[in-house]
Amino acid sequence: MIWLTWRQMRVQTLTVLGALTVLGIYLVLLGYQIRHAYNTDIVGCRPDVCERAKEKFFDAYDGPVGMAGALLIGAPALIGIFWGAPLITRELEEKTHRLVWNQSVTRTRWLATKLGFVALVGLAVTGVLSLLLTWSASRYDQVLGERFGALTFAARNVVPLGYAVFAFVLGTVAGLLVRRTLPAMALTLALVAAAQILVSTEIRAHLMPPVTTTVALDAAVVEAADGFSVSETDGLIEGYEIPGTWSMAAQSQLFNADGTPYTFEQAKPCMLIGPAGKDCLAKLNLHFGYRHQPASRYWPFQWIELSAFLGLAVLLAGFGFWRIRRQPS
Amino acid sequence: MTLVVETAGLGKRYGRKRALTDCTLRVPAGRVVGLVGPNGAGKSTLLGLACGLIRPTEGSIEVLGDRPAASAAQLARVGFVAQDAPVYSGLSVADHLRLGARLNPGWDQRLAEGRIRQLGLDPAQRAGRLSGGQRAQLALTLAAAKRAELLILDEPVASLDPLARRAFLRDLLEFVAELDVSVVLSSHLLGDLERVCDHLVVLAGSRVQLAGDIDDLLAVHYRLTGAGEDLDDLPAGVEIIQSEQTDGRTSLIVHSAGPLRIPAVDPERIGLEDLVLAYLTRAATASVTGFAAKPVEARR
Repeated sequence: MIWLTWRQMRVQTLTVLGALTVLGIYLVLLGYQIRHAYNTDIVGCRPDVCERAKEKFFDAYDGPVGMAGALLIGAPALIGIFWGAPLITRELEEKTHRLVWNQSVTRTRWLATKLGFVALVGLAVTGVLSLLLTWSASRYDQVLGERFGALTFAARNVVPLGYAVFAFVLGTVAGLLVRRTLPAMALTLALVAAAQILVSTEIRAHLMPPVTTTVALDAAVVEAADGFSVSETDGLIEGYEIPGTWSMAAQSQLFNADGTPYTFEQAKPCMLIGPAGKDCLAKLNLHFGYRHQPASRYWPFQWIELSAFLGLAVLLAGFGFWRIRRQPS
Repeated sequence: MTLVVETAGLGKRYGRKRALTDCTLRVPAGRVVGLVGPNGAGKSTLLGLACGLIRPTEGSIEVLGDRPAASAAQLARVGFVAQDAPVYSGLSVADHLRLGARLNPGWDQRLAEGRIRQLGLDPAQRAGRLSGGQRAQLALTLAAAKRAELLILDEPVASLDPLARRAFLRDLLEFVAELDVSVVLSSHLLGDLERVCDHLVVLAGSRVQLAGDIDDLLAVHYRLTGAGEDLDDLPAGVEIIQSEQTDGRTSLIVHSAGPLRIPAVDPERIGLEDLVLAYLTRAATASVTGFAAKPVEARR
């Protein structure tokens, strides 16, 4: 059964391995390039030129890292579409299921071998790609400090593996239900894309309740914020983020030391042009609550998302095994 | 008596469409069974149920004493060639033999290679480039080398030209004798099966019309020809299958389990083709008038 699965997948698998090799070499070269740039331009840079050096660094590697990330995010959908969906529909369309399901192998074992073998190949491909990109882009990610970013989180470390297995099993089961290749492919693409968008925009932020810590508004914090706004009733700090954490609020309300809201009346004296205004603000002894997912939750989040999608894949596969035994043909 | 196929009240519906209705059959072992009926009669459905590709919606079916496709062991005992003999078009003839060897514990490589050689197939040839006849032969080789106890062939010769048809059936008979297997094969043409079968099942309108060993069936059917009044009063137990009027004379085809004695009428034996046609005609008429005929089964 493994032989047959391999024989049917041979050409595709070798093609993908070829492409993966080329991509792998590129990612290794890119990794060394990024490391070189990081070591010469970023490490120990003089404060006055540091910002400029970082900008140059991002300008140079935004494109390649972004493209590789997009490919890794797209890989599960591709696996689902081209390996998952046709796995059963091609047999049904060519009627070869009537040949193979009448050999001395039960449908359950036939499906188990197919699912297992192709899922392992898919895992290996995605795993190698993710490993290489994670290594290659590590310095870039470190300087950027946005490990929780929607496109970064889903394209590094272990999360892509979950998506790959999920998309593959989803494609297979879609094929089993729809029974025709093209509609099954379209359905797979739609569902995988929906799952990825839904998780990154709606679900991931709620995997654990966010933490609120009180941050004192000192000179460094004032410098790190994007800006401030005040009204009659309240004052807000905007765009402040502790590097490595995932901020849950674009703005936070400022409070005086005694806990009363900071207001427009109080802000008047500090409305000065240039650094003087910031210095003035930093001396007011204000504080605010910073709602966020701490940096330490990066790995728990990775494992939760991986387990969730592997779990979904197992449930879908279970349904597939139940369905294929009842499949009228 | 061992049975290769035993069904009771077997039925299959697709939505509201009945593909097979109330099918009760007992097919003994060691026969070459012909399953005949017009297109859409339910032949493929019955064969699909027998090899386990389809599950019944009602009734039961046992093949070689077990539920079809119930286990790998049961799958190994039944060889199936589906309609149009599907094969993997991208795989070579040799790949197909390897497939058979890997997926069947009882695989007979000597038999498979021998047949491929005998048929003159090139092992390196892709199955997608074989002719219809060669594809059918390859599919039959796969099913045969599995060394199953029962071979089920769904319309194996439908897509073959007359020459390939003859060759295929002759070849089939040869190795049936050699391997000692039971065979069920279907066709919408009786002519294809007449020469190879010793047991017949006639399906029409999703129902079994007639079933039994051919010799037994021929022994209990007669043609009666006479003036109308001679045939008005038939003995009890005689069932009229078909009745035709020509020039004031009546010609009947009847079923009678016992010997038939009617004054002034000489019962004639009839041929298989006339017999099957009589039942198919009755079924066609019944489906128009809504009258469901009772199937006839010959018993020893």
